[in-house]
Amino acid sequence: MVIWGTTLVLIAFGLGVTLYLIERSKQPGVPTAPPPLPIAANPSDIPPPPQEVNLFLLDTTAPTLVPVKTELRLHAELTKRLSQIITALIQETPPNFRNTIPRGTVLNQAYIDSQQTAYLDFSNHLIDGHIGGTTAELLTITAILKTVFDAFPEEIKQVQILIDGEEVRTLAGHLNLSQPLHLPQ
Amino acid sequence: MTTNNVVYTKKPQEARTNRHGLRVTVRVLFLTIFAWIITPNSPAQQNSVRFIDVNGETIAETPIQSQGEQIYLSVDAVRQVFDPVMTDQYNHPRKRLILKTKDQQIRLQMGHPTVGIDPSGLTHTLPTPPIIIAQQPMLPVAFFTQILPDFYNLEALYNPSLQRVQLRPKDTWAPAVIGNSPNWAIIIDPGHGGENDRGCESSTGLLEKDIVLALAKRLQRMSEEQGIKVYLTRQTDTKKTHFERIQVAKRNQGQLFLSLHCNASFSPHEKGIKIYLNNPKGQLRFPSNAQAALTGQRLKPLAQANFLKQSQDFAHALQTELNFLTEAPVELTELPLIALSEAYMPAVVLELGYLSNVEDLEKLSESEYIAGIAQAIVRAFQRHISAINPPVQSTELEQEQ
Ligand SMILES: [Zn+2]
Repeated sequence: MVIWGTTLVLIAFGLGVTLYLIERSKQPGVPTAPPPLPIAANPSDIPPPPQEVNLFLLDTTAPTLVPVKTELRLHAELTKRLSQIITALIQETPPNFRNTIPRGTVLNQAYIDSQQTAYLDFSNHLIDGHIGGTTAELLTITAILKTVFDAFPEEIKQVQILIDGEEVRTLAGHLNLSQPLHLPQ
Repeated sequence: MTTNNVVYTKKPQEARTNRHGLRVTVRVLFLTIFAWIITPNSPAQQNSVRFIDVNGETIAETPIQSQGEQIYLSVDAVRQVFDPVMTDQYNHPRKRLILKTKDQQIRLQMGHPTVGIDPSGLTHTLPTPPIIIAQQPMLPVAFFTQILPDFYNLEALYNPSLQRVQLRPKDTWAPAVIGNSPNWAIIIDPGHGGENDRGCESSTGLLEKDIVLALAKRLQRMSEEQGIKVYLTRQTDTKKTHFERIQVAKRNQGQLFLSLHCNASFSPHEKGIKIYLNNPKGQLRFPSNAQAALTGQRLKPLAQANFLKQSQDFAHALQTELNFLTEAPVELTELPLIALSEAYMPAVVLELGYLSNVEDLEKLSESEYIAGIAQAIVRAFQRHISAINPPVQSTELEQEQ
């Protein structure tokens, strides 16, 4: 009797664990150690492997914009990937580097049109929080452009900066941002 | 046991070697620090003066001798800089020096500030007398900046902090009102303004909008003394749109637009004066298939491009004049700029220095430095105007009459 009872308990426990594991594996985007999935599963459910991305930050000792490598689990979809990279650029500040985007700036939205123009819509803080000066303004814009063109050399040809959904003439009163911009080759 | 003995005998040796090594290290360290202290590394300790021409090209770099605050140059420097055929006679017992040019003589007495000129009989007084150093007559720098240029129909500008002397032809400037030349109207645009647009700001609370307004007013006064009409896009601390600023230029038929700003960077190390030109194909660029067609602005960028060459010419004039004041050459960058985007005339943005840099901030707080910048800008105006409307020579005027 005791043996039968123990066996039943063990079976019930094993079943519970198996059911729990199956249920857990169905939840998407588990950040650490994603369990291997059957090949037949929906591809969008597969958490992407981390990829190296260059974020352009200011090396304050040089002082020039330099690519700083970071690992991101990039989304398969282009505009989502663009959002992820720009959001990372806003947040990244390793020691000895300065972020050229004012602290507190938020990327509201990013999209790419048929002309391969990327529209990056930032919160008003990109203007309000800016320190001013032509050099600082140029560094902010160049860091964004370099990061975008480095990650999307084929997909994006030019970038238009928007603030809260609107086109703006300038950021700090010097550069003309009324049109999409690109960098000389 | 023997092994132990070996170990014991070795120990004091090691200790001695370590002590010796420590002593050597300390000595080397001390010598390094001493060498570093005595090595001259600031520009004020330069041991030469650089003479440059009107375009900033070096004429000669001459060695100097310092006595206290004063700087002295040798007689040879006169030949190197002004007159290769000048001869000199030095009377040791009487401590008298005579310099002979082709038709004049300059008499100097060591220890006396008076300079006599023959045959005119004129005399000048130097702020510092010539002296004897190592038994050789030495001439104060003022002799090279105040007395000699006159002899060769030159004018000298002296920058003591960089030990630089610029020699330029005398009286080349004539206000452009002669003959058919138009009256010149220059538009000076003090950037930013008002409570919501203060521009950049220093850690000490110095504001870009205030610095540029003060300089603009100073430039207006100084230019008008030289016969150049200047209009300001704002007279007070008020907000002005780019459109309103351009309207001032159009209304007053400006022929040159100078926008004044102070710079800032995220790096505290970035410093210096910078000049920017509006070029939509510059360091950042608008796509060549510009959306101009969409915004109905197709003609505007074309019209503006016509002024790029003249803007570059003025920028170079400004650069040459400002280089005299700066250690490193003034940088010139072309970018799509909003402040100049609709200025249909030669136009330049001048960034006076970085409020985010300690050295620049110190300079921008000194009225002497600002005065030097203002003089350089007015000279650049004169240079630019003279290049476009060359001054009419008096002989030509007489012929016309
Ligand atoms: Zn400014």
